[in-house]
Parts: sequence; structure tokens; C-alpha cells
Amino acid sequence: MSTPSSLESLIEALRCLPGIGPKSAQRMAYHLLQRDRKGAQRLADALQHALAAIRHCERCNTLTEAEICERCTSPKRDATLLCVVETPVDMNMMEQTHAYSGLYYVIMGRVSPLDGIGPRELQLERLLARACDGVVQEVILATNYTNEGEATAHYLSEMLKSRDIHVTRIARGVPVGGELEYVDAGTLAQAVRERRSLAE
Amino acid sequence: MNLRHKVDGQPAFVLHAYPYSETSLIVEAFSRDFGRVALLARGARRPRSALRGLLLAFQPLELGWAGKGEVQTLMKAEWQGGQPLLGGKALFCGYYLNELLMHLLPREDAHERLFATYAETLRRFADGVRESDLRRFERALLQELGYGLTLEHDAEGAPLDAATHYAYEIERGPVRLQRSGNSALSVSGKTLIDLARDDFSDPRSLAEAKQLMRALITHYTGGKGLETRKIFMELQEL
Ligand SMILES: [Zn+2]
Repeated sequence: MSTPSSLESLIEALRCLPGIGPKSAQRMAYHLLQRDRKGAQRLADALQHALAAIRHCERCNTLTEAEICERCTSPKRDATLLCVVETPVDMNMMEQTHAYSGLYYVIMGRVSPLDGIGPRELQLERLLARACDGVVQEVILATNYTNEGEATAHYLSEMLKSRDIHVTRIARGVPVGGELEYVDAGTLAQAVRERRSLAE
Repeated sequence: MNLRHKVDGQPAFVLHAYPYSETSLIVEAFSRDFGRVALLARGARRPRSALRGLLLAFQPLELGWAGKGEVQTLMKAEWQGGQPLLGGKALFCGYYLNELLMHLLPREDAHERLFATYAETLRRFADGVRESDLRRFERALLQELGYGLTLEHDAEGAPLDAATHYAYEIERGPVRLQRSGNSALSVSGKTLIDLARDDFSDPRSLAEAKQLMRALITHYTGGKGLETRKIFMELQEL
């Protein structure tokens, strides 16, 4: 017996999820249709609802249901500071530090030349417009310390340099509470290269 | 190559890595004795993987792998040090070298000399990028792959003359022109002589060498535009 075409297209559709190959997709499809049709209905409804309701915040680009998200409109945030991160998860991490009270811009990606992802694909001109609103005074680049994160930071700093905006990059080095004995050599090497003078 | 091998402590650089299944990576590496290899790094994307953060491009590593077939399994990776992390323009130039190697190096074809030139070029990048480093690398790459330029004499076998203009024909070499041409492959004899000597002190030779190399590389990569070049241009538009 051949697979019905609607089942086939469900399997094919599930493969759009990261890390899901044909076998896993098939397992998921059979599970949804055989064992959990209610769950399948909930999943379908939730997906449809989310697709209709969720969009990118006009100011910070993160996912939100409003035109402008709650954080961007909060009077408690310092609007002169703009922190640039790669993903919403990174933004949540920054929030957990309680060390930052400014606003954000979420790129939703990173520059990756060998994957063909450049400034154009990431629409970085939107970030430029956001940073040039006349209120922002400092842009903090908090992209990852990977090559791609560094490439992104370099591009952004070049882009913003000419606009009279103070651009900073989050520091890197030995972790808090870190003992040199247990720090990886690459981190330690870079910490030595980027050593700083102690204040008098 | 279908022989099962086991390799250990092999000097290598990561050229590119992309996600594979939920937690793994496929790493394209340039190794000293085996050339370009594709390695499956199992679990490398798990939060606590020892490989996470280690498989960084432009850093000298020692890799160990085993298996057979086109994609083998990465068993071990050790950071070697001595190479500062690239930043700024150097980082984009590093990506350019990697893209060239990804396009032009066939898999499992050893190029020990090119490996040394690559490592040396990255070391120089750490002090800032000089155009001449890029030209030297491009020339070494073409040479190693058997696309070496004819720079000792013209297509007829006559010695090159610094004051004469040539059209560089890809299969034949420099062909004497009556007057200066305006195609990318038109160069002065002086440029060809300087290129042969790796002498880039004359800005005109350097500029012409860049045009010539670009045309040759476009030819050998099958006319496809390079992604890194496109992004480089966006960077320069700022
Ligand atoms: Zn927002």
C-alpha cells in the first residue's frame, strides 16, 4: 500500500524543523495521526494562531504580538543605550544579568560569508535607522565571540562609526569565579592579549 | 578514497562548519597531510560539548579522525595556539581564503606547501592585512592546483619585456599586444615580472595583479561570484 498523499505532505512539512530527518518526520506524523489526534489539532491551531498574531517589533525586531513590543515602550528603560544581540535567547540572557537597563535590537542572525549571509540578508539598514533615532547615544555590540559574531560586530561598528554614535563591544576573558587552571587555553591566550591597565 | 583510516594529531584548520542533525556539525577542514576533509563532529552543538568553541576557523588545531567514505568521524580536536583571533578586515580576508579553498581544493588531496602558506598568511593577517599577502596566497593556490601562471616568458617563449603590454590568455600565457588593452586580463610586462618575483612594491603592479588574479579565479571557480567578495563590497559601500 502506498502512503496517502496528505500523509506524505505532512511528513515533508515536518522536515522543515531543525534536525528533523525523514525518519523522525515519519515517526512524528504517525504519532500525531494515530495516537494523539487532539494534540495534533492543538498544534495546528497554535501554529495558525501564532503565524497570524506574531510579527517583528518595529523597533527592536524581536518577535512580538504588538506593533512595538512592551520593552521598547517601557518608560523604565534607558533609551540612550541600545544593545545589539544575535537572537531573542541572547536578549533573555542579557536581561537575566540585571546589569543592563537599556533597549535592544535583535538581528535574528549573524553575518556568515560562507553561508552567503551578509548585511543585506540581515537587513542591517533597519538597525542603522533604529540607532539613528536621535535618542540613542551608545550602541553596545553583544554579538557572540565567534568568528561570525565578530564579523557582524565589525560590520556594525564600521556602519555606525560615521554616524557620531559611541560604539562599544562587550568584553571577553576569564569567567567570573574562574580559576586559571580550568580556563581553556584559547580564552586565556586572548585574555592576555586583551589585558588592561588597572585604574590608579 | 574508500580505505578505512585512522588519523591522529593532524595539523588542520577549520574552513567551514554547518549543522548536521540536531546536535552535530559537519566540519570542512584543511589538513596538512590529507588536504580538505569533511568530518562529522558528533554532539559538537550540545551545550557542554568539549568541541564547542574549539572548532573555530582560523585557529591552528590538531585533529584526529577515523572511518571511511566521504565524511569521516572526528575523534579528537586540540587547540594549538600561537594564532591571535582575527578581527576586522582580517577576518573578512580570512573568510575569502576559506571560500577559495572550499571552491578549489578537491577533497583528500594533500597540499603541504599550500597548507604552510595558508598558516603563514593567517599569521600575517593578525598584524593587519596587506594586499600583497592576498596576491601571494592566490598565486600559491593556483600554482599548487596546477593552474600556475606563465610568468617566465610570453606565450611564444620570448622573454617578458617590462615596457610591453600583454593579454594574459588562460591556457597559453601572456600574449604580446600592440598597445595597452582594457580587459581584466590585459597587463603590463612589469606586472608579470613583479608577480613572478612576489614583488608588490609598485602600486600599479599590485592593482593590475589584483585584476588579473580576480579574472583567473572567476574562471577557475566556474564563473560563480564569490560570496565573500559580495560581502566585501557591501563593507566598502559604507
Ligand atoms: Zn521591541
